[in-house]
Formats: sequence, C-alpha cells, structure tokens
Amino acid sequence: MNKLKKELKSSFKGIRTGILEDNRLAVSAPKDAVLPILSFLKNKGYEHLSLISCVDWIEEKELELVYVITSYLQKNDEYADNERLHILLKTRISRENPEFKTLVPIFKNAEPYERELHELFGINFEGNKRLTPLLLERAYKIPPFRKDFNTREYVKEKFDKISFVEEKKNERA
Amino acid sequence: MDRGSIKKWLKAPGKMGQKYSFWVVYFCTGCGIIEIPPTITSRWDAERFGVIPVATPRQANLFLITGYVSVKTLRAIIRTYEQMPDPKYTVGFGSCPINGGMYWDSYNTIKHLDKYIPVDGWIAGCMPRPESIFIAVTHLWTMIDKGMATGYIKYREKYKNYRKNQEEALGKLEWPPLYPVGDKNE
Repeated sequence: MNKLKKELKSSFKGIRTGILEDNRLAVSAPKDAVLPILSFLKNKGYEHLSLISCVDWIEEKELELVYVITSYLQKNDEYADNERLHILLKTRISRENPEFKTLVPIFKNAEPYERELHELFGINFEGNKRLTPLLLERAYKIPPFRKDFNTREYVKEKFDKISFVEEKKNERA
Repeated sequence: MDRGSIKKWLKAPGKMGQKYSFWVVYFCTGCGIIEIPPTITSRWDAERFGVIPVATPRQANLFLITGYVSVKTLRAIIRTYEQMPDPKYTVGFGSCPINGGMYWDSYNTIKHLDKYIPVDGWIAGCMPRPESIFIAVTHLWTMIDKGMATGYIKYREKYKNYRKNQEEALGKLEWPPLYPVGDKNE
C-alpha cells in the first residue's frame, strides 16, 4: 500500500492520501486529476470499478464524488505485487453547477452509476450519451437525494392529497 | 371432500370452485416475495389450500402484493390487475402496502395501495410468516362464502375514481380505460 501511495504522490500533484482501515486507501484529488488517476490505476491492474457514490456537503456547498476501485488480478503474474486494495478516490464539485466528465471511456460499467447520480443528485456527466431516466418515474423539482429535498413535505403534497375511493367508516359497520 | 360441505357445493358450486382454487400471479414486489418460495414448496405446501402460483395474470384469480410498492411498480400492478379475469381477489401482504410502513415518508413509494386498486384483505406484519398467508386464505374463503370479497365489483363500479387516483399518482396512463369513464357511469 505504501508503495502505491508513494507512486501516486510522485506522479500527481495536489492529492492527499490516507489509510482508513487495513485494506482501504483514501485518495482525495482535485477535479482535473481524477480521470488521469483512474486510468493510471487501471493500468496498474486495479481495473474493477465497484461503485460511484456521492455525498452532499450542503454547508460547504459542494458535492463529493467517490469512486471505489478494487482489483481481482492479484494472482496474475503480471500484477503479482499488487495488494488486495479498495481505493476510494474522492473529489469535490460545486453544488450549484454540478458538472463532471464522464468515466465511460475508461470504465464502461460507469454508465448506470452515472445515470443514477444524474437522476438522484442532478449531476450532469459531460460525454455520457445515455443520461435517460433509470429508476424514477416522475420529474422532481430538486433531485431527491439532495439534503434540501424535504421528503415529508413532498409526501404530504403528492400522496396524501389523493383521496380514498370511498369512506372507510361504512365498510366496518 | 367432507360430507358437511356437500350442501354448500350444491347451493353455490361456482363459489366453492373459486375458493378452493386460488391461482396466484407470480408477481414480485419488494421484499415480501422472499416468503413465497417456502410457502409454495414442500415446507409449507400451499397446495393443501389450493394455492398455486401461475405464470401469467390471465390464468390467475388471486393477487398477492408482497411488499412496498414504488411508483414504477404501481404501473405494473395496475396493468396486471386489469388483465386478470373476474372474479379476482387482492391481498396486501406486509405493512408497506397498508400505509407505507417504514417507507411512510419516502419520495417514491406509494403509501395506501387501496387508493389505486381495490384490496380485499390485508396481512399485517413486517414480514408476515408463511402461516399468515394461510390464515389470510382461509379468511378469504369465509369472505367469499358470505359474499364480502367484492373488490372486483367495486373496481368496476368506482372505476372512474380509481382511474382518477391512478392518473394523479402516475401522470398520464398509456393504456385505455378498462371500463367506460364517461359521465353516465357514475
């Protein structure tokens, strides 16, 4: 782990690394460095993107993207000195204008994750051609996973307003 | 067949036939479906009660809503329900279709299922045990005997209101109304 840490620090500027648990390496990087780091890690053998996640830091007015990357190729001779690692690559983007570049050219399986984040957090991934609805049926004013989306108010407005077909009192009598 | 029920068979053979052959739509909603495989296989053997899962709604007459209903699933539920031939019975399974359950303030889950389709009975619990399915089935037998399981008739009579609620929840529906919704049929 320390070897990879050093390599990352020497090749990219402005990144911070930390070891979270036994097998977890956290890397926070500026926006521009994310795609080069990911392709660098892919060439190193860490070629399984297991998740793209997002955290809403509402007080700092930023969204944090988290890319979780791991490797299955430990047993291969070519990557024999790789450790079994989870790498968490974090970057922050602005909340008002949430735009980022797509990861699809590097990791193809990023497409559904990006569609999901587009739907639930309203992030626009530049270059992803398929940002169509995935899970949700209707349009929301604020994307529903952001912290300022008030679910209770929404439920009151949307579902509680629909009336029962007939009064329940008559049924029981 | 026990001799006590011969009278019932002669009196209302249609009702007796319906109640001892519930064919359930194989429709998975939410987490409740995990209770169905042990129910229909040898551990609890639902066939003792005449309950068999079938592949298509056209063959079925019992609809188990097993778990929470998201907005997208509601569309499928309505389409499935409308395809089933009369007489048909619906049973809400678990606390989520009753009033939202633990998803009472979720942004994408339907809270009261009986606003959109008629429901004949509820099984409370999260999750209900397979035994409670059989209790529900035997209750449904009693209800059919007494002529109380009339959800499908209610659906026909109040179709206008149901359709209005469905449109309110889902936006525009892409299938035509099952029954006429003009002003005359109120």
